[in-house]
Amino acid sequence: MPEIVVEVENLVKYYPPDVKAVDDISFDIGSGTIFSMLGPNGAGKTTTVEILEGLRNPTSGSAQVLGADIFKDYSKIRKRVGTLPQNFEPFDLLKPWEAISYWASLYDIRISKKEIDRLIESVNLMDRKNLMSKKLSGGEKRKLGIALSLVNNPELLFLDEPTTGLDPKARRDLWNLIDIIRDKGTTIFLTTHYLDEAEKLSNDVAIMHKGKIIAQGSPDSLVEKYGKSTIIVLEGAGKAGLAKLKEIGISASIDEIDDRNVLVEVKRHSEMKATMARIANSDVPMNDIYTKRESLEDVFLSLIGSKMEDGVLKE
Amino acid sequence: MSHLTSDIVNFGKQYLRSKIGLFFAVIFPVLLILVFGAIFMGGGDSKINLHVQNLDQGPMGDMLIENLTKTNAFTVINVSANENITEYIKNNSLTVAMVIPENFTSDIMMRQMNASVPGLVNVTIYGDPSKTTYSSVLGATGAVTNGMNFGLAGARPIVGTEGKQIASTQKFNYMDFYLPGIIGMTVMTNSLFAMTSVCAEYRQRSYFKLLATTNIKKWEWLVSKFVFYTILLSLALVLTYLVGRAAFDMQSVLTPMAFVLIAAGAFTFTSMGMLLGVFIKDPEGAAAVANAVGFPMMFLSGSFFPLEIMPSYLQAIAGALPLTYLNNGLRDTMVYFNDGGALMNLAVVFACGMIFFILASRLMSWKEK
Repeated sequence: MPEIVVEVENLVKYYPPDVKAVDDISFDIGSGTIFSMLGPNGAGKTTTVEILEGLRNPTSGSAQVLGADIFKDYSKIRKRVGTLPQNFEPFDLLKPWEAISYWASLYDIRISKKEIDRLIESVNLMDRKNLMSKKLSGGEKRKLGIALSLVNNPELLFLDEPTTGLDPKARRDLWNLIDIIRDKGTTIFLTTHYLDEAEKLSNDVAIMHKGKIIAQGSPDSLVEKYGKSTIIVLEGAGKAGLAKLKEIGISASIDEIDDRNVLVEVKRHSEMKATMARIANSDVPMNDIYTKRESLEDVFLSLIGSKMEDGVLKE
Repeated sequence: MSHLTSDIVNFGKQYLRSKIGLFFAVIFPVLLILVFGAIFMGGGDSKINLHVQNLDQGPMGDMLIENLTKTNAFTVINVSANENITEYIKNNSLTVAMVIPENFTSDIMMRQMNASVPGLVNVTIYGDPSKTTYSSVLGATGAVTNGMNFGLAGARPIVGTEGKQIASTQKFNYMDFYLPGIIGMTVMTNSLFAMTSVCAEYRQRSYFKLLATTNIKKWEWLVSKFVFYTILLSLALVLTYLVGRAAFDMQSVLTPMAFVLIAAGAFTFTSMGMLLGVFIKDPEGAAAVANAVGFPMMFLSGSFFPLEIMPSYLQAIAGALPLTYLNNGLRDTMVYFNDGGALMNLAVVFACGMIFFILASRLMSWKEK
């Protein structure tokens, strides 16, 4: 069981007259993991992050970050936490290396040119280090933001929608970077409205809707718990394959899209191995076999009842 | 590097790399002094063009015109006797014109020979009373006709006036009196306008939130801006002063007290900008608010015009503006060498600055509610 880095209990943020931005949420984040808060715009993700960053006061509830009560002792942990705010834009007229040096000084950190280079290298901006920040692309600006948030070598890093508005390549670049940071032992609290991002990066996901956490767990456990099933596709098995499967007591059906294929629905992820073994040991004719797993997207649809595109719920 | 030094250096780098900031801090005051100098010191003819229609057949009309010309206040332009004067004024967009009546000489002679003939023999001055040229012509013509009255009566004037320049200002020219106003205005515009928009930009781009996650204190950030603007404006205004001296032979002096006043002005107007920035959410709003506050202050505080020419209610408003005291203090020390007077003005400027600074520190929040 990893050490608990963030511990939130019954957190509430209420805006008069009647907006409950955060409605009685509780969760823990283990050390060295990526915890994603997933939800549409206005779900309460940023409010939660900003409370944990010491930037907003909650209406009620408690929160411990790195062992400190953030409402009383935030100054004690300030140097151990890194922050990338939503829609981060760097200082236009500072070069990346200048921005890093400046930011380090604000944390009372003496940083050498070598250390600055190492940090710039770690976010793949070495060839941009002497360019005015306003000339960086959207993805490069976010990378610089991440470099700034790492300047104090934080144990806990808050990334508030780090890939929003970026093109697919820039998003994938940032995912790799976030993975590397996690692998170095930094705990990451990520907010996102991208389902694939949460699924790809997270050890733990909390799905937030209207201020409440409506589901929480690892992406696999959420799919298992809230997803309908996993499908085994027997390509080219046809009617003969269907008959053979019935013989060994496995319920199956012909694929409606391609009637040469046979589909086997596995309700529980834990049953997958045994079912695959039974099919492999039988003489079902087929050209290929693979699984089609439900994703967080299906889980989200089943929980919220709507799809989400760019943070907006679609009917 | 301390938070303060680092913030000054990095804020300064950004400011100096911004061409607009650099233009308004360094180039604009130099341009202003050159333009105003060219206008007021360029040796142009400052006489008023006075259009005169002389309908008189005798010598008195000509004598009046000759005496008006001798005042050196007017360039007399003759209007043909055939012109309809009101049409002439309208067609030529004149603000003032004079008509010497048809029987000017004979009417004067009649009254001179027979004291019982009633009334005055008037010349008529047409004009727009709201224009200063009209009152100048009225005053000067009055003085000329008085002189003619004395001559006709065979009397000599006994009481007179003699203008003398104040000893301490003898060597100064118009631009010496104007320079302190330009300095005051530059200090105000750069500190106030820039800080209002900096605050709005920092809020919009979440820089305040980011700063709140570091170890820099709010007061350190505020002080760093004041120190930066003091250094920048001092250097920019030394340049303006040197250009003014070289171009217009100005003799006013940038005294140590002038630098103290520049620092106090930078403190007051950066604090005022931060205070306005508390209530503004975006850079567009910041520009509108800074203009709404800064421009009236610029015109009402004696930067360009002497306060004495303004109506009393505007003078009362000027008395409530910190820029008025900054301008007065700068004139006290740079032109009149009256550091006692400058000190009083400095105290007012600094007191305003302290009030703005305390309010800005209290009201400005880097965090969200």
